[in-house]
Amino acid sequence: MPNYFSNRPPNFKPATINCGTIAAYRYRKNLKAEIEAGNLTKARAIEMLEDMLTIREFEEMIVKLRSGAYEPCKGYDYRGPTHVSIGQEATSVGACFGIAPDDYITSTHRGHGDSIAKGCVAIRAMPTEQLRQRLGTSDTNIPKSELVEAALEDHVYKTIAELFGKEDGYCKGRGGGMHIADFTVGHLGANAIVGGGVPIATGAAMAARYLQEKRVVCCFAGDGAYSNGVVLESLNWAAQSQFTNHLAGDHKFGIPIIFLIVNNHYGMTGRADDEVTGVACLARRGAGFAENNMHAEVVNGMNALAVMEAVKRAADLCRKGKGPVLLELNTYRYYGHSLSDPRFEYRTKDEEASWKAVDPIEQFEREMLNAKAITPKALEALKEKVRARNARAAAKAASAADPNPADVIAFMYTDTRADTVPERFAKTKIVKAPPEIKRQDGKLTYKDAIKEALYEEMLRDSRVIFYGEDVADYGGAFKVTKGLLEAFGRERVFNTPISEAAICGTAVGAAMAGLRPVVELMYMDFALMASDQISNQAAKWHYMSGAKAEIPLVYRVSVGGGKGYGGQHSQTLESVFAHIPGLYVVYPSTPYDAKGLLKAAIRDNNPVMYVESQLLYGIKGDVPEGDYLVPLGVADIKREGKDLTIIAWGPAVPDALKASERLAAEKKLSVEVVDIRSLVPLDLETILASVRKTGKCVVASQAISIGSYTGEIASVIMEKAFDYLDAPVMRVGAKNGIAPQSHVLEAAFLPNANDIFNAALQLF
Amino acid sequence: MADIVIMPKLGQATEESTIIKWHKKEGDLVKKGDVLFEMETDKAVLEAESFFEGTLLKIIVPEGVTVPVNPAVAFVGKPGETLPEPPPLPTTRQTPAASPTQQPAPTPLQAPAPTAPPPDGTPAPAKAATQIQPPAVPQRRPISPRARALAKSCAIDPSSIQGTGPNGRVTEADVIACLKIQGYDNIRISPAAKNLAMLNNLDILRIRGTGDGGRIMVQDVERAIREKPRPMSKMRQVIARRLTESFTTIPHFYVTVSADMTDLMAYRKELKDRGKSYTVTDFILEAVVLSLLEFPSVNSVAEGTNVRWRGSVDLGVAVSLEDGLVVPVIRNADSLSMPELRDAARVLTEKARSGKLLPDEMTGSSFTVSNMGMMNVENFHAIINPGEGAILAVASAIETAVVRDGKITARTMMKMTLSADHRIVDGAVGAAFINAIRSKLEDVELWKPLT
Repeated sequence: MPNYFSNRPPNFKPATINCGTIAAYRYRKNLKAEIEAGNLTKARAIEMLEDMLTIREFEEMIVKLRSGAYEPCKGYDYRGPTHVSIGQEATSVGACFGIAPDDYITSTHRGHGDSIAKGCVAIRAMPTEQLRQRLGTSDTNIPKSELVEAALEDHVYKTIAELFGKEDGYCKGRGGGMHIADFTVGHLGANAIVGGGVPIATGAAMAARYLQEKRVVCCFAGDGAYSNGVVLESLNWAAQSQFTNHLAGDHKFGIPIIFLIVNNHYGMTGRADDEVTGVACLARRGAGFAENNMHAEVVNGMNALAVMEAVKRAADLCRKGKGPVLLELNTYRYYGHSLSDPRFEYRTKDEEASWKAVDPIEQFEREMLNAKAITPKALEALKEKVRARNARAAAKAASAADPNPADVIAFMYTDTRADTVPERFAKTKIVKAPPEIKRQDGKLTYKDAIKEALYEEMLRDSRVIFYGEDVADYGGAFKVTKGLLEAFGRERVFNTPISEAAICGTAVGAAMAGLRPVVELMYMDFALMASDQISNQAAKWHYMSGAKAEIPLVYRVSVGGGKGYGGQHSQTLESVFAHIPGLYVVYPSTPYDAKGLLKAAIRDNNPVMYVESQLLYGIKGDVPEGDYLVPLGVADIKREGKDLTIIAWGPAVPDALKASERLAAEKKLSVEVVDIRSLVPLDLETILASVRKTGKCVVASQAISIGSYTGEIASVIMEKAFDYLDAPVMRVGAKNGIAPQSHVLEAAFLPNANDIFNAALQLF
Repeated sequence: MADIVIMPKLGQATEESTIIKWHKKEGDLVKKGDVLFEMETDKAVLEAESFFEGTLLKIIVPEGVTVPVNPAVAFVGKPGETLPEPPPLPTTRQTPAASPTQQPAPTPLQAPAPTAPPPDGTPAPAKAATQIQPPAVPQRRPISPRARALAKSCAIDPSSIQGTGPNGRVTEADVIACLKIQGYDNIRISPAAKNLAMLNNLDILRIRGTGDGGRIMVQDVERAIREKPRPMSKMRQVIARRLTESFTTIPHFYVTVSADMTDLMAYRKELKDRGKSYTVTDFILEAVVLSLLEFPSVNSVAEGTNVRWRGSVDLGVAVSLEDGLVVPVIRNADSLSMPELRDAARVLTEKARSGKLLPDEMTGSSFTVSNMGMMNVENFHAIINPGEGAILAVASAIETAVVRDGKITARTMMKMTLSADHRIVDGAVGAAFINAIRSKLEDVELWKPLT
C-alpha cells in the first residue's frame, strides 16, 4: 500500500455545489401492511408493544415515586434524577427492533427507554444456555419461554435497582439511571454529558469496522447534543474519506454507525427548532460532513414502525460499508427536562396536546387492533402483565440491599492486564518494513524508545491501534512514530482530523468494543480540549459501570515546555489529570523507562495518560532490545544517597541528577533521587522509605507549583513521615504563571537544576 | 429566663482569670452560696460562689481557659429553659458601679491550703501588684520533627542543643553531635529506667546513675522525676517577676540597728495583764507609721527621673502563706489610732491566711514591714516592694549580753534592717529614719498614751 502523496492543483472554475436533498417522512406503510408483506410477525409486533408499555410503565413509576403515589413501593424515598422519556417510546423500541441483537447502542441521560428496549430485544434473541447463565440457573427443564419471561423481569428489576442505586443494579448502583450500561447486551452506556456518548459510539463503530464484525452502532443522542462540538467532531470523524477511498486499500468500509438524532425539540428548555440552532431540521447537519449527506433522513419518531424501518435500512447500509448514517427522529418529550421543570414557561398546553394526539403507544395499539394482531382482551392482559411485572420488580428493588459504604471507592481501577494475547489477535503482520530505530552501543533516544515500545506492542497484539494528528505518513509532529504506518498499514496507524475530543473519545469507544487504542495528543495543552472525554468518559466508565467495562487505552500526551512556544503549547498538566480518579498517569524520564512504561501502559486494562516531554525526546540511554516492562506504580531510585531525597518526574529528574552532582561536589552531600515514574498509582513506599532514611526532601516537577502534584506528595510525606523530617519539605516548580514565549522569560519561568540545588541548600 | 453567672472581677487591676476547677457540673442543682468554681488570678486562687438558685444548665467557660473578667461563664436556671446566646466577651473593662445587677458582689476568696500555723511575723519579700504585664511568650526553639523524635527515642532533652540548621533549627545532625559530645554511647541504663525516662521526658544525660559502674537504674530516674522542674504557680510567677524587677532595677542599700526591747516587752506584758493585747508587730507598725510621718522622703517612690511623695501612709504587712506570701495593705495607717491599727492588721492578716483577701486589699502600699521575729532569726535583708522606697526587715528579739553603763547585762535585743532605694533615700536619712524607729521602740513612755 503506497503512502499518500497529495497532488491537487488549484481549480477555480465557476461551479454550483449541490447539497442534495434530504427525505422526510417517507414511511407510508402501516402495521397491517407490514404483517401482510411478511416484514413483521404478529408475535414480534406484540413484543414491540410490550416493550413500549414497559418503558412507559417504568417512566410513570418515576413520576409517581416523586409524589409517593407508586403503590408497589409506597413510602420508598427515591433520590435521583427524573429525566423521563414518556412520549419517545417509539424511538427506543423502533430503533432497537431495527438493529441486530448484538449490535451496540449508546444512549443519553434520558435513556431508560433505550436501555429497556435494547435489553428486551437482546434477551429474546439469547440462546437458552445464555439465558440460564444470565438467570443463574442450571435447571434444564425450564422451557425457553419461561426463561425469557424471567430474564425480562430480571432486566426490569436490574434497571430499577440501578435507578435506585442498589447493589443489584446493572452498575451496582454506581452509575444510576443517567449512566446505565449493560455491556452483556451491547449497551455501551447512557451518558449524562450531553453529546458525551457520541464519540464513544463512533469509536465503537471504528472498532467494529476494524474487527470486521459486521456490527453496527446505534447512537442515540438528543437535539441538544447536535450543537455540541464533540458531536460535530464525531460526525466528521465517522465520515472521513480515508475509511472508504484508496487509502483504505482493500478494506474500503465506512464507519458502521447510525447517528440517531432523537429530536424531542428541547435541550433542557432551549428550543432546537427556532431558538438555539439556525436550521429547521437537524438532519441537515449531514450535509456538512459527507458528500452523501450521511444518507440523512427525517423520520416520524412517534411511529415505531417508521423508526424501525428507517433504522433497518440504515443498519443495512452500515453493514455494507456505506455508513455512517444520520437519522433525525422527530418526537416529543411529554414531561419537562426533569420533574422539577413545569415546562409552561416555554411551551403551550396546545402543543403538548397535539403531540399526545399522536401518542406512539396508542397509535400502535390502534394499528394492532386494526390488523387483528391482538384482541382487545389480549391487549388488556398484556398491559396488566407489564404493569404487574414492573410492580414486582420495583417492590423487589426498593427493598434490595444498598451497596456497602465501605466499598465506596471499590471499582475505581481494574487490576487486570493483557498479559496474554488471544490467538485471534496475536497474528499480526508487517505490511511493508519495520520502522527504523537507531541503536548505538545499546542506546536509544527517548523518542525511539517510545517508537520501539509501540512497534513491539503492535506486533504483539493486533488490538493495539495507533492514531492521532499527523502521526501516519508524517510520523508525528516530532517524528516519534515515523515508520509505524509503513509497518502496520493505515488500518492500524492513521491520521485524524484536528479533533482532540474525538481522538480521546473514540479511543474510549474503541476500548469498550475490544481494541486497545493508543492515541497521541501533539501537545498536552490540547488535552484540555478533550477534558470531558478523558476525565468524564475514559476515567469514569469502569467505576460507573460497576466494574463491567474496562477501558484499556493510552493517551500519549507531549509536553512542549522549553521551546519558546508560549502559553498554549508549553504546559505541564499531569497534576490536573492526577486529580481525576480513574485515570493512571505516568511520566517517564529516561529512554529505558519510556519504553518499559509505555509497554506496561498498553497492556494495562485501565486508561493511562502517558506523558512525554519534548525536551527529553533527544536524550539517549540504555534500552534493551525486546520485551521488558516497567510496571505502573513503581518508583525508581535513580541515584542513591543518605543526606537528602529529591523526588521528581519527567524533565525534573535529569535536573535533579545534575543538582545532586553539584551538591556532592560542592557541599559533600549524598543525595538520593527518586523518580516516581507514575503519579497514579503512586509508589508511596519507596518515597517514604527514602525520606525516612534522609529526613530531608525536595519535590520537583516542571509544573507550576499552585495545585501541583508536588504539593500532594509533600503533604503525604508530612502525614506519614512527619517524625522523620529534619527540615520542611521543599517544592520546586515553574513560576506560578503562564509560560512565556520569550526565551529569556521562559528560562526564568521554568525550573532548572540550579533551582533544585538552591532549594536543597535551604534545608541545611 | 436563666441567670447568667459571670467571671467575677475581683480587683481593679484584675483583667483576666482562669477557671481551674468546676465544682458543679452541668445538670447539678445549685444553691445560693454553693461554690461553683475555683478561679486563679495572678494573685490568688479563689472560690466563686453562686448568687443564684437553680440548675447549672450550661458551662460556657471550661476548666483551664483564661478569660477576661466579666463575661458569662455559665447559666443557672430551670431545666429545659432555652438559653440566650452568651454575651460577647467584653473588649473594654466595665465599670462595676455602673450597673449594680451586673456587678459581682465580693466573692469569698480562698487561697490554697491555708493550713500553716499563723506566724506572728511575716516573711521578707513583699509585693503589691498594681499592674498586670502580659506574660512573656516563651521563645520556641525550632527543632525538626526528626531531631525531636531522635532525642525522644534517646531519652534526652533537646531543648539545650544549639541548632545549626536554617533559622537555628535543631536538626538530626545537631542531636547526633550532642550525643557524641556528651558521651551518650557510654551511658549505661537499664531498659526499664530508659522507658521510664522517656515516658517522663527526662534527659538521661543529666541523671546520675547509682547502679554498677554508674548504671542508671529505675530509682535514679524516679529521683530525677522528683527533681524535675515544674511550672510555678501563677502567684509564684508574679512574686518572682516582681522581686527580680525590684532587685535588679532598684539600687538597694542596707542599714541595721539593734533595738533594746526589754522595757517594751515588759510593758507589753503589763498591758496584757490589764487585758489589752498588742503584738510586738503592732508596736513596730506604729513606730514605723510615726517615723514615716517624720521622714516623708522614705514614704516615697522613684519613678524614672521623678520622685513621688505619698500623701498618706499605706502600710504593707508581709504575711507568709504556705506556698507564697501576700502583702495586705493598711490604708491611711497614719490616720488610725494604735488600737485601730492593731485591729486593721489583725483583720487583714487573718483574711490573708484564710485566702479571703480581695485583690484591691493587696495593692498600693507605700512602705512594707516584714517581720520574721517568730522565726528565730538574728538579722535579714528584705527586697523592696516595687512601688515603694524602702522596706523594714524585723528579726527576732533575743536575750543578749550587752554593755550598759560599763557593765555587761542581759537585754532583749531586736535587730532591724532597712532596705532603701538609694536613689531617693540617702544613707544619712536611712540611718536617721531607722534610728527614729529604734528610739520609739525603746521609749516606753511614748507608748503609754497611745495604748
